[in-house]
Amino acid sequence: MNGALFARTLAWQRLRWIIVSIAIFGWGILIPVVYAAFSDVIRDLANSGAFPEELLSFGSGSLFTLPGAVTLGTQHPLVLAMLGIFAVGATSTAIAGERQRGTLEVLLSRPISRTTVYTSITAGLLLVVASVLFTFLAGFVVGAAIQGVLDELPIEHMPMVLLNGLLLWGAFATFGLAASVSFDRPGPAIGLTLAYLIVNYFFEILGSLWQEAEWTQEFSLFHHFQPAEILAGAVDPIDFVILGATFVVPIVYALVVFPRRDLAAPA
Amino acid sequence: METPDAVISTRGLTKHYGSVEALTDLSLDVRHGEIFGFLGPNGAGKSTTIRTLLGFLHATHGSATVLGMDVASESVEIRRLTGYLPGGIALYDSLTGEQVLDYLARLQGRAPYRRADLVERLRMPQADLRRRVRDYSRGMRQKIGVIQALQHDPELAILDEPSEGLDPLMQQAFYAILADLRAEGRTIFFSSHVLSEVERVCDRVGIIRHGRLMAVHEVRELLARRRRRVSIQWRGAAPDASTIPGLVDVTVDGDRLFGTLHGDVSEFVRAVASPSLEDLTIEPASLEEAFLEYYAEEPPTPAAAAPSEAT
Repeated sequence: MNGALFARTLAWQRLRWIIVSIAIFGWGILIPVVYAAFSDVIRDLANSGAFPEELLSFGSGSLFTLPGAVTLGTQHPLVLAMLGIFAVGATSTAIAGERQRGTLEVLLSRPISRTTVYTSITAGLLLVVASVLFTFLAGFVVGAAIQGVLDELPIEHMPMVLLNGLLLWGAFATFGLAASVSFDRPGPAIGLTLAYLIVNYFFEILGSLWQEAEWTQEFSLFHHFQPAEILAGAVDPIDFVILGATFVVPIVYALVVFPRRDLAAPA
Repeated sequence: METPDAVISTRGLTKHYGSVEALTDLSLDVRHGEIFGFLGPNGAGKSTTIRTLLGFLHATHGSATVLGMDVASESVEIRRLTGYLPGGIALYDSLTGEQVLDYLARLQGRAPYRRADLVERLRMPQADLRRRVRDYSRGMRQKIGVIQALQHDPELAILDEPSEGLDPLMQQAFYAILADLRAEGRTIFFSSHVLSEVERVCDRVGIIRHGRLMAVHEVRELLARRRRRVSIQWRGAAPDASTIPGLVDVTVDGDRLFGTLHGDVSEFVRAVASPSLEDLTIEPASLEEAFLEYYAEEPPTPAAAAPSEAT
């Protein structure tokens, strides 16, 4: 890994990193507040049968329990957008963008192998994704403490939740980077990564709202992010294996493909 | 066979993109301490050659070494000792010129020994270096490009259209920098389609066409071989032109004779020197004519494919 490139990768993200971190910390605080304020109401609604339970949940999350609220908070479209800025936007433009601008050849004319370029950028962007996730969970804990419901949140399992989340969003990030090393322009790389994210999200939400389509959730990476189960002490290693594999395979692909690509002069 | 002091050496270097032959059977040696001009129009294969030497492209066939190292397996080490200026360089617009140079120097891993001198000679004041690159003119970007390529004092500089965008004054300063580098034993591989600058700066020139190396010559030798337009005026009748060595395409207009001179100028001058000679004009030999001669020929005939001819 190259320290200068790693530092520069972080520096490129600096402004949006700060803004998103503040926003997602606030969102993290808000979820326990909503849980404390509305969970009884929602539970009563569910028990009354006035609304199907599926409509009172979201994806694999719900407001019935505080751990369920963690899942709900991380699967909300707002979080998807905030984390997507880095896991989709920054990753898929990282190398394809440099290639299109013509700065990649200035970079590669230095004594750095393409493998080093890839690993330095990947490490930088994964650090950003991890820090944003951490900030969300930190906000969540702070929110739970403010609402006095911290006793419902087994803090000791939170590192495992962070790891689970990092594998999920890391899988999208490494996919974005694999797309980025494959194209000469960022457009196709962004499109492909965004499609990957949306299809996964669609399968998860579709399965949660429509019982006949519940099987689609198995094909969604989001379904293998299970903070509620982890916080309940029931870690399913299969979830980690699946997310781990989808995290690693794009890295292996990029490490094989990028050094072998011909980089003709930018158009 | 490779020239012993070759800094760049290619043997049968070939790059095909599918059915497109971007570079075919390039065998070339660039000697230590010379400025080598690589001439050809757009699309001739100059950039493909450079990109293959730097490891951006992988050769379809053939081999190449730079500073004695194989371009396929030792590319990183080659780039440690090389400075590269891409054609139409792109820089990080959101950084200042100084930040770009610092960043690239850190990536290079060698201290920017020459930066202060280059900055001064290319007239890049601190105030300009502290402005963002997005506010730079094309000439200023090119100056930053030149500085980043040379600031770490590379053994070999590979420069793709280096004077593009520089004003005439800065071009002179740039040529002086190249001359100093050569005097210090550095090697410069210089791609250009500006014939006048190649003629002025380079020791040798390679001419590439349709991805094939057509010829490699000493610039002096090339110029000496060139045809020159001559005009001679005598008092009285003109002598028999057939007795003047090297003079062809002769036309006579009154007491003035026009023709084209091939070969040795001194022999020609001796032959025409007489008390009745009133005026003699010999136009300077131009590399452009030599260049156009290669490009006028159809179909392409690779004249310098054999390594011994291309050294």
